[in-house]
Amino acid sequence: METRCFIYLIIVILYACPLVAGLYYIHSNHNKPMERRQFLASCILLGGFLLARPGKLFAEWMDKYFQQVPIQDAFRNALGTADIAKTDKLTITAPPVASDGSSVPVEINSAIKCERIYLFVEKNLTPLVFVCNLQANAQPWLALNIKMKESSSLHAVIWDGRQYLMSSVHVNVLAQAC
Amino acid sequence: MSDSVRMVAREENGVVSMKLVISHPNESGARKDEQGNLVPAHFLKTGIVQLNGAHLFDLQFGPSVSKDPFLQFRFNGKKGDVLNVTFTDSKNVRFSSEIVVL
Repeated sequence: METRCFIYLIIVILYACPLVAGLYYIHSNHNKPMERRQFLASCILLGGFLLARPGKLFAEWMDKYFQQVPIQDAFRNALGTADIAKTDKLTITAPPVASDGSSVPVEINSAIKCERIYLFVEKNLTPLVFVCNLQANAQPWLALNIKMKESSSLHAVIWDGRQYLMSSVHVNVLAQAC
Repeated sequence: MSDSVRMVAREENGVVSMKLVISHPNESGARKDEQGNLVPAHFLKTGIVQLNGAHLFDLQFGPSVSKDPFLQFRFNGKKGDVLNVTFTDSKNVRFSSEIVVL
């Protein structure tokens, strides 16, 4: 957390210094009233710096999403509602029986174009496994290996821009892990 | 730390399939070692996948991702596109790597 604040501080200083110096240079002729050219130049300078802001450097990690709570509360924390419509356009591919809970391959495939994908494991201490924001060229398909504490349902949720849609499968775990 | 991220991306019919493995203990903080002591949490928290400098996937992970996370993505792209990934873990260590789509 401290490192992040430090980085932001450096960025602010790096961006503020030339801006202040530039404005000072334009307005260095103090005794004359501000001319139109001066005013335009400062407007351009300010506008340029506002546009040239650094982009999002880190995806912000939301503590609220990843709390150790029951599944219904996890839905409420991450999605704002626990009442989600089921869909058959979203498929989760996972082995029905996993011999080792420390690495269960899960594949999520959506036939609907979506902006966000969530994966929840109902009986894990922290139910939410990941949130993924998809940009323009991304395909709504994702695969990864997850940890499962015990046999449980997996719930994949997508946000298609208007509503949340959900699909679930059940995985039996023989050897537990967390 | 670029050697801890291994990835490959291949284009087929305009769709790029990308696989990546990050060497990381990914401890959830709930596991106990042989002596019964809790192993402190140390897991990947955020990930960004960029295609030619533009964001493609922004991810946030919880502790339930397995050890040495193995992730796969698909997106529209072409051969020669530059892929850039950056991951940050709970100790604020950054892992990044860059490859060209084959």
